Amino acid sequence: MKRMQGPRGRSRSGRTPLLLLVLLLLSAPPAFAQRPTPAPPQTKSILITGGTVHVGDGRVIDEGAVGFRNGVIDYVGYAYGVVLKYDSIVDVKGQHVYPGFVAVDATLGLAEIDQARATDDLNETGDMTPEVRAITAYNTDSRIIPTVRNNGVLLAQIAPRTGTIAGTSCIVQLDAWDNQSAIVRADDGIHMTWPRAYQRTGWWAEPGETSAEKEDERSKQLRELRMVFAEAKAYKEWIRSNPTKVDIRKGALLGLFDGSKTLFVNASVAREIQEAVLFVKEMGIKKLVIVGGYDAWRVADLLRDNHVDVILRRLHSLPLRDDEDVDLPYRLPALLQARGIRFALSYTGDKERIGMRNLPFVAGTAAAYGLAKEEALASITLDAARILGIDSICGSLATGKQATLFVSTGDALDMRTNNVVHAFIQGRRISLADHQKALYRQYSERYGKP
Amino acid sequence: MSARQYLPLVLLLATAPCTAQVTVPVNGPHATSGTVYALTGATLHPAPGETIGMGLLVVQDDKILYAGSQASGKVPAGAVQVDFSGLHIWPSFVEPWSSAGIPADKDRKPNERGIGNWNGAIRASTDASALYAHDKEANAQLRDLGVGTMLVHRMDGIARGSGAVIALAERSRQLDVLNPFASAHFSFRKGTSPDAYPSSLTGSIALLRQTLYDVEWYAAASGVDLRDSELDAINTQRSGPLFFEASERNDILRAAEIGREFNMNFIVKGKGDEYARALDIKATGMRLIIPLTLPDALDVEDPFAAMEVSLAQLKHWELAPKNAAMLQAAGITFAFTSNGLKDRSAMIASLRRMLAAGLDSTTAMAALTTIPAAMIGMGDRVGTLEVGKLASFQITGEHLFAKDGVLHEHWVAGVRQVLVPDDKQDVRGTYDLNLQSRILRMKVTGETGKPEARVSDPQDDSTSVKSDLRIKGELVTVVFDGTKLGINGPVRLNGIVHRGSRIWDGQGQLPGGNWIAWSAVRQGETPKDRKKKDDDRTLDSLYASATGIPWYPLMAFGRNMLPDSETVILRNATVWTNTDRGIMRNTDVCLHEGKVFAIGERLDKSVLFPRMKINVLSVDATGKHLTCGIIDEHSHIAIARGVNEGGQANSAEVRMGDVVDPDDIDVYRNLAGGVTAAQLLHGSANPVGGQSALIKMRWGLNGEQMKIAGADGFIKFALGENVKQSNWENDRRRYPQTRMGVEQLMSDGFHRARQYGSDWALYEASLPKPSVRKLAKAIAPNKPAPRRDLELDALREILDGKRFITCHSYVQSEISMLMDLADSMGFKVNTFTHILEGYKVADRMKAHGASASTFSDWWGYKFEVENAIPYNAAILWRQGVNTGINSDDAEMSRRLNQEAAKAVKYGGVPEVEAWKLVTLNPASMLHLDHRMGKVEPGVDADIVLWNTNPLSIDAKCEMTFVDGVRRYDLSQDAELRKAVADERERIIALMLAAKKAGAPVRKAEKKERPHWHCETIGEEP
Repeated sequence: MKRMQGPRGRSRSGRTPLLLLVLLLLSAPPAFAQRPTPAPPQTKSILITGGTVHVGDGRVIDEGAVGFRNGVIDYVGYAYGVVLKYDSIVDVKGQHVYPGFVAVDATLGLAEIDQARATDDLNETGDMTPEVRAITAYNTDSRIIPTVRNNGVLLAQIAPRTGTIAGTSCIVQLDAWDNQSAIVRADDGIHMTWPRAYQRTGWWAEPGETSAEKEDERSKQLRELRMVFAEAKAYKEWIRSNPTKVDIRKGALLGLFDGSKTLFVNASVAREIQEAVLFVKEMGIKKLVIVGGYDAWRVADLLRDNHVDVILRRLHSLPLRDDEDVDLPYRLPALLQARGIRFALSYTGDKERIGMRNLPFVAGTAAAYGLAKEEALASITLDAARILGIDSICGSLATGKQATLFVSTGDALDMRTNNVVHAFIQGRRISLADHQKALYRQYSERYGKP
Repeated sequence: MSARQYLPLVLLLATAPCTAQVTVPVNGPHATSGTVYALTGATLHPAPGETIGMGLLVVQDDKILYAGSQASGKVPAGAVQVDFSGLHIWPSFVEPWSSAGIPADKDRKPNERGIGNWNGAIRASTDASALYAHDKEANAQLRDLGVGTMLVHRMDGIARGSGAVIALAERSRQLDVLNPFASAHFSFRKGTSPDAYPSSLTGSIALLRQTLYDVEWYAAASGVDLRDSELDAINTQRSGPLFFEASERNDILRAAEIGREFNMNFIVKGKGDEYARALDIKATGMRLIIPLTLPDALDVEDPFAAMEVSLAQLKHWELAPKNAAMLQAAGITFAFTSNGLKDRSAMIASLRRMLAAGLDSTTAMAALTTIPAAMIGMGDRVGTLEVGKLASFQITGEHLFAKDGVLHEHWVAGVRQVLVPDDKQDVRGTYDLNLQSRILRMKVTGETGKPEARVSDPQDDSTSVKSDLRIKGELVTVVFDGTKLGINGPVRLNGIVHRGSRIWDGQGQLPGGNWIAWSAVRQGETPKDRKKKDDDRTLDSLYASATGIPWYPLMAFGRNMLPDSETVILRNATVWTNTDRGIMRNTDVCLHEGKVFAIGERLDKSVLFPRMKINVLSVDATGKHLTCGIIDEHSHIAIARGVNEGGQANSAEVRMGDVVDPDDIDVYRNLAGGVTAAQLLHGSANPVGGQSALIKMRWGLNGEQMKIAGADGFIKFALGENVKQSNWENDRRRYPQTRMGVEQLMSDGFHRARQYGSDWALYEASLPKPSVRKLAKAIAPNKPAPRRDLELDALREILDGKRFITCHSYVQSEISMLMDLADSMGFKVNTFTHILEGYKVADRMKAHGASASTFSDWWGYKFEVENAIPYNAAILWRQGVNTGINSDDAEMSRRLNQEAAKAVKYGGVPEVEAWKLVTLNPASMLHLDHRMGKVEPGVDADIVLWNTNPLSIDAKCEMTFVDGVRRYDLSQDAELRKAVADERERIIALMLAAKKAGAPVRKAEKKERPHWHCETIGEEP
């Protein structure tokens, strides 16, 4: 990590953060049940200055500044180096500026209440449904989304769940009137789950069924997969000569072979990862990302040689195996980093939507267990954007990229200090209101001062 | 060659139709009864540890007339004399754990006939003697193993019924059933019962306890109106031998608790892992039945596949053969069961491994004969060769435990079974064939009973000619053409195959008619034999090199020695006292004898402990933060086989304290997260759940020892979607289905409990004073006591302020309901757990006096938590409600410090107060704040040392003391990691070598234990 040392003592006088927070709270819309109004396009240029700028690529600029107009960043550097004029200047001295965090392999907007089936658009029926597209069901008005934004998560890859091939993901920004305007990159990848290498067979004192028959079942599954992808590959020529004989399933897989789509394969244990990498190579699929990747560090050479990136499962998990170090899940990022594997951190798992606001703290844990703080940050910003193929437009604070960023009064990767006071998506200053803050205010007012 | 292969050819020779068989008509002429057999020449082993060189065994019908030395005995006149020179005679084994001949109960439906128990798992009237039929195949297999007598019962249900002692003679059943009502059997498994209740281990234990209380009431009370065949049955069975089946070692201790409560002395059948709790088991005084089966090695050649095999599995593979020796060393009385063994050679292989591991052979013999005989109440009839006992004995070629030993004959109750007929002997091998003038080579191959032979010049294989070999009984003929061998014409030999020896000899005729004396002597071994022998030797030395010892607990991060309480001074720390002293900087804390001993600046050992010779560990805690341990008010770790008893809406009778599982790695992981104590709660499937267990993370000790002694009793209640089964598809049968029903169900329970309480109070008041009780009883017998009801006992305790509710709750309406209900019944709700809408009724909760134990930021996972907010804790805390943050999750549990930090983020709770959310406040909810939840002299030394502010994302726990015992330590953890890796590698190397040497191997399987949550239903999901 490189830390740029800027000259000290050039602070501007400004409003205190506390005052700002109060003002923000007061300006929030009163009707808590409704989602905050999406922000209009940026019309006035803005300079955020005086704070610690976390670029997202590993660099930190003390007393830095970030300027943007028309939704695009046009300045990143020391506060004293600003020469352009800005309509609005936000002094964030003592605070921290971050690129918007990127939620990879997320399901925001696909389901609202886990146990209310009507709100659930996660799982299409059928084992292989590459044709279903997350963007179709993505609900921009989910009440969960504002609560997630308010901890710094401003971009997300939305992916369907379950089945061997779950469907097609999309990448969205989290402040939009409708799903079309939310799109950052449509149909960016296919998400699948590798057939599980090990099945649970009871607990140790009471072994369940032996896995021999499961093995048969599994090789059948793998044969089927091979067939599906082989047919999809041939489909490219087929549809050219038979343009009316459309097979939407095969069509959905086509992008994998020309690199316009990435294959995201959920695989945790070493054998699954090995098989997935070899399979993708054999099939001529251009880009593979391993999702889960618990054992990825154990097969790092294979991944590195084949340029495979990893999206790690939620670090706040228990070790998969009783015998493993108690902190192994926390150390996975450091283990991958030491082996030269590019990775991003996800929050995939139980309660993943409402829990997505904890994504920053997963990165914080990675920093506590072996990564440098800025490297940990990169795993939910620039590296995540790279893995999703959107790093040319977002993922870090760099001129020419979209102005999707936020300011926190303290370290945003620590729950104790994460406190988002300004947030911008594509230059638009977004509302930091959410129904939970509104309820908090409502009931605090009801009780009055204790 | 195993004796198993002879089985289809076993001859059953009914030598002794018995005089006793008077009631059973005979088809055809009756044979003479009373025939006497005299077995001479054999080495006699009449009892464990006793040997008689030249023995005589005299048998008449099914009884032994004489067993002793031939010199001092006498063969009775008219006896059939059989020579068993060179052979050994042993008492038959007694198998205490069998279900041979007992049909399984398939497709059970709820009971619609008779006066059986309401619960299908209580089937004590099951009578094994009535169910028993000869299962010829199973019986033959048992006899092949050496079993002459067995105790059979139907292994199905919690109260399983009576067992019958069977002689494996296959006479009429009326004769073979030696005792139709020999025993009673119990377990914690509901078996084929079609009833929903119980669905968990804790429920099974509760059902058994309630049933046993019912038996006492039923037997004692004259005024009982109902008839129950199962209660009747248990009542009559109680005096006899009582057997219990345990599913694992911790079940043995659970059975012991039941035994203590009801004064029942169980003999417990274990799984073979008892060594890992041998001292605890010894302390129960119970006798055991342990399996002879041993775990197979696992296929660990693929290192990735091997990762899925846990150290617990590896260690058990290594240590299981030492189980018997370790139990012997601990002074535990045990019998063996052959249940699950394939054949005799597997049994002998198992026994030999156990003997090699230090088991005394006399103890082994006793565990196969006299001990099980005594256990099943047949000590005077079987188990030894003594006058008057049943003539059940085995005749072997070599020592009973000899490798590849062959069982020649097995007599059971006088019924002779020849297992190795003479013409079925294995004669294969290479022989020197001595024809007086010449020595040829004879190779005998083919199948046992159908041998083939070729004869050749020893130096020239090309001379090999096929010969005609016939063996009939002990007589043998060999015929071959000698032309190629320089003998002009056919050679014809006749002779005897000497049983159990390598020699054949006799007379023969050469071409030309010359008679000669010939002999054939079997040489050495075949290459296959040699390889097997080599392999066996390798295996023996491998097993001998298995030097592992148990860890406590028997799994990764266990220790071979448990740590003791230390005297420690942690120096120069930042101490979060949770008292009015707040956060103290540069402060020393001294732990001594399990308590916090002193706090202050620069504590001086010689001042603290004047004139005491004492070892004080000094820890430099400069720059570190010291706190009390975290207390998780809502945890489901360390619970065995089910967190919800889902079979009934009111399950107040079940106790998590019965099912604390000390072998859960999450205990260690909790320690690594600074957690020292937890409330193990029943799940949230029922409006009235079960009773809690309050534990400390005493990693390595047993379940009972983990419990906090003297703690108040708590019980889980639950409201809302879970208890009304809102998220269950298409199943709307159980009351309640609405929040309205929940209220009424609880109200009903409390009203019943109140009535129950007054019934008991009346009864107790009616009893004469203890001083005159005896006299009064003589004059007028007591009124019958009310039926003890474990469910109502628990509810009555709530009403009496002796048990306290922790209630799973979400929305404000139901929270208010329970407080109102409690007020109307005159008690207080102790704690609302989850309580995500507590912020809406904080003022009411404050007024009622209830605590709140909530999640930091969960919401949205079901409809009733749509209005949950992360500011909940802050609002409740500000309103003066005693507020805590819990986990309900094995993973979050180890990051509760960070969950507390979220109260700083959401709602601005000051850090000192946020820290109390996971320490002092839950301690107070659990009525433990006088001894936990703070750092001040006199409280329990449950202390955690952190690298930095514990609320920070960078916080790591470096040391965790529980009662002054360092149960987690970063540097020790590093050593344990290495120990785990080394131990794995060592045992894996052993396994690989064992596989190479031909040991049986099983495919590696992943075995996980479930992680419980509130909503997990069932025993093993």
